Amino acid sequence: MSQATNNKIFSNLWMVVVYLFLYLPILTLVVYSFNDSKLISTWTHASLRWYEALIKDDDLISAVLLSLKIAGISALMSVFFGTFTAFALNRYKRFKGRTLLSSMASMPLVMPDVIVGLSLLLMIISVQHWLGFPDKGLFTILLGHALLGTAYATVVVTSRLREMDGRLDEAAMDLGCKPWQVFHLVTFPLLLPALVSAFLLTFTLSFDDVVLSSFLSGPGYSTMPMVIFSRARLGLNPTINAVATVTIVVVTCAVIASSFYTSHQARKRKREEAQAYSDSNK
Amino acid sequence: MATAPKEINQPAPEVLLRVENVTKIYDGTVKAVDDVSLTVNKGEIFALLGGSGCGKSTLLRMMAGFETPTKGKIHLAGQDITNLPPYQRPINMMFQSYALFPHLSVWENIAFGLKRDGMPKGQIAERVEKMLNLAQLGKFAQRKPHQLSGGQQQRVALVRSLAKRPQLLLLDEPLGALDKKLRETTQLELVNIIEEVGVTCVLVTHDQEEAMTMASRIAVMSEGYFLQVGEPDTVYEMPNSRKVADFIGNVNIFDGVIEEDEADHVTVRCPECVHYVGHGVSGHTGMEVGVALRPEKIMLSDKKPKGEYNWCQGEVIEIVYFGAHTTYHLKLDSGKVIKAQELNNTRDLSCGLTWGDRAYAHWNDLAMVVLAQ
Repeated sequence: MSQATNNKIFSNLWMVVVYLFLYLPILTLVVYSFNDSKLISTWTHASLRWYEALIKDDDLISAVLLSLKIAGISALMSVFFGTFTAFALNRYKRFKGRTLLSSMASMPLVMPDVIVGLSLLLMIISVQHWLGFPDKGLFTILLGHALLGTAYATVVVTSRLREMDGRLDEAAMDLGCKPWQVFHLVTFPLLLPALVSAFLLTFTLSFDDVVLSSFLSGPGYSTMPMVIFSRARLGLNPTINAVATVTIVVVTCAVIASSFYTSHQARKRKREEAQAYSDSNK
Repeated sequence: MATAPKEINQPAPEVLLRVENVTKIYDGTVKAVDDVSLTVNKGEIFALLGGSGCGKSTLLRMMAGFETPTKGKIHLAGQDITNLPPYQRPINMMFQSYALFPHLSVWENIAFGLKRDGMPKGQIAERVEKMLNLAQLGKFAQRKPHQLSGGQQQRVALVRSLAKRPQLLLLDEPLGALDKKLRETTQLELVNIIEEVGVTCVLVTHDQEEAMTMASRIAVMSEGYFLQVGEPDTVYEMPNSRKVADFIGNVNIFDGVIEEDEADHVTVRCPECVHYVGHGVSGHTGMEVGVALRPEKIMLSDKKPKGEYNWCQGEVIEIVYFGAHTTYHLKLDSGKVIKAQELNNTRDLSCGLTWGDRAYAHWNDLAMVVLAQ
């Protein structure tokens, strides 16, 4: 057998192993969500029993809704603050404390969530002690998630701002734009894809966060990951499989749709560029 | 680089742009532009020529309003614009990278500036149409910039900056982003469009050919100040310093001493030869000078020239063939290497010289420029 076929067999085998490692657990979960048995590890026969149970499980449903709400709001907050931070770091090259800000902005990325959560908790408790608010609950979770999300959003927006031609701003001003018009007419439309991806990223981060939420939530505010986590400790209920499967299906559809869209756009652009080239050579 | 013959009793040209003693200092220490003054007349194409870091771009950016001078004033048509922001100046700029808005179509790119002025819609459409025709881009109006070739993008950038009918057009390395083959045609297109509109232009370039073919006057810049300002042929044939002679085109410089200083001629003794210059110079006997001689003004032959002046002898050490002409590198007996350019006006190699041959280089008495040290 030649070296090339050997390599090919090995690389295919490796690919299969990696895919199994990544997706076998998820596949198992999906399959077992259709299992009729009450025991999570024994297969009896297929049924939608746990999906019915899920619909009736008000606790879990309200936790999902709460998680969506927190993820949505905190992602918006993250993108808002992250964009401002990224602008400050990229467009204003010299100001006092720039180096400090740039390292502080990315600190939450490397800081363990447990530490961030604990320190936020301590801070909130003492603030509450002095001022009488905020009570632990929706607001404090939002605060924690926005803090973490802002760091991620800053990174995403910064990378886009860096590759954007700074001359575009100057060209806009040269053609009569006042500074706010430059943002509104040129910078924002060009930044939009980055803002969308920053939103999706921070949304996901918030949606599956369990550590920060556990520290910062108060009575009556349990997010979906918290509910799943606490139920898992009491012994897993197959309803969790059902809610996980629903989540996986939604996420998979979104990912497939977005990658189709991106590759379609890329192909279209390539075609148009080729067209432009052949036109100019006529 | 042809210039119109000078008429007698020509009316004094109207000054459009006046730069007065402008200095730009970065970070308190770096002098990017050092006490520069210049005037640009209406209808002129003025080139700022220099290597990278010579301050030409900073000067242009101060005209556009992206930088403010540390010292000095800039006047446009009599109005002080030194501290006006870019969006209030009747000046538009074409960027080196074109800076076309990628999310807008060609039509919208051209209309962008007009919309900011609050021009009525009908007039905008009319003006954009005119600009598209000027750039011969009519059928590309709805395309996005990435759907155009480099040359087309460049024309869009040009007419976008012309659409608002600016009093002054600034061009930042207008041909910098194009490959060599496209340059020549684009250069002419550019000049034709600019001349059709009749706008005054200041262009920045590091390419002396670009400056010579496009501009009516050139300022050669180095280290933040002007070395020489003049018409292209003046700057080329009568450089005022070694730096200018060296920067514009190729040049051989002989170091020597003025031996004879008369009203109608001077002789300069160099280690390699004696130069007989057929016109007077402002110098004195015994003064150390450099004699600049362009390669295309040197003739080569295998026979010893008559007389004792304006020739030297050496060995051909390199022959570089360019098609239209050939450059010979001649190593003189003193060790100095000079370049001589011969026109290939027949199809066999013009003077039959080859590597290792001894050859005589000679030139006439008006071919060189005497430069102070």
